[in-house]
Amino acid sequence: MISCEEAVARLWEFLDGELEHVDEDEVRQHLEICRKCYPKYDFQRAYFERLRRAEKRRSERSREIRRDLLRKVMAQVAEAEAEGR
Amino acid sequence: MSAEHLWERVQMAWAMLAGRPAGEVRPDRERVTRPPAPSEPEAGAIAAEGFAEEALPWMDAVLGFALRLTRGDRDEAEDLVQETFLRAHRFWDSFERGTNAKSWLFTICRNTYLHGREKAINRYEKPAADFDAHVETLAAVDAWGPSGKAPDRSFFDSLIDDKVIEAIDELPEEFREVLVLSDLGDLKYAEIAEVLDVPVGTVKSRLFRARRILQDRLRSFATEAGYVREVES
Repeated sequence: MISCEEAVARLWEFLDGELEHVDEDEVRQHLEICRKCYPKYDFQRAYFERLRRAEKRRSERSREIRRDLLRKVMAQVAEAEAEGR
Repeated sequence: MSAEHLWERVQMAWAMLAGRPAGEVRPDRERVTRPPAPSEPEAGAIAAEGFAEEALPWMDAVLGFALRLTRGDRDEAEDLVQETFLRAHRFWDSFERGTNAKSWLFTICRNTYLHGREKAINRYEKPAADFDAHVETLAAVDAWGPSGKAPDRSFFDSLIDDKVIEAIDELPEEFREVLVLSDLGDLKYAEIAEVLDVPVGTVKSRLFRARRILQDRLRSFATEAGYVREVES
């Protein structure tokens, strides 16, 4: 069983899915039973969720811009391809 | 087996395990799979083979990155996105089909941005050397004071999106770009290292530092708004 320090040191890599399988299992097993570390894990998870939500809303709000951009890019690409022929 | 397929397999395995009690604790940074290609009929007319299917679906992701690079300057970000895709189209032959188009586009976007800025003001804030030198000390998540107790997670929900974005945009550039690529752009450390042309260790040290700064800032916003008590730890 790894220590709290070791688990916390690898927490972000664990959440980022960047640990090797064995390391990942060690951190997961620690978090499952450690009352002290679980809130830290939970806190970081809340952080990721919050950022993801902000980005999702940004994306939803950008629908019009995106459509407009896509049209512009496609027109410019078509022009570039026509010139290249 | 490609990395994307491997990841899908891992996700499936996670889903299968989700029923067990241990399933609650798991890495939950789910990767965004490639969105569908645009349905506009004109997209099919693009001659560059695979460009519509592989590059164009990432337009929103590139826009998200461009917006944070430019600190929310919509006009500049839109110009940046257009320039990125035009360059991508011009150099499409050099892109290895089936590899990571998203990272490739982010690289072009960032280079275009830096190039434009160098031309405009001829300077790029270099990261302070000592930030990269302490990977180990920065690897740990902040202990949040002597008690080592994590603050209540609910304050994240008390913040409106504009405040979250404001805090990200306030980050110094070398921290902002790495954080956006990871936490909003969903890139892996190795992919970010490619985009920024730095070692993976540097990506980690900058990213962890960036998260600490950002979380501190978000906490300050929540404190100012009265959602978090001044001294909690």
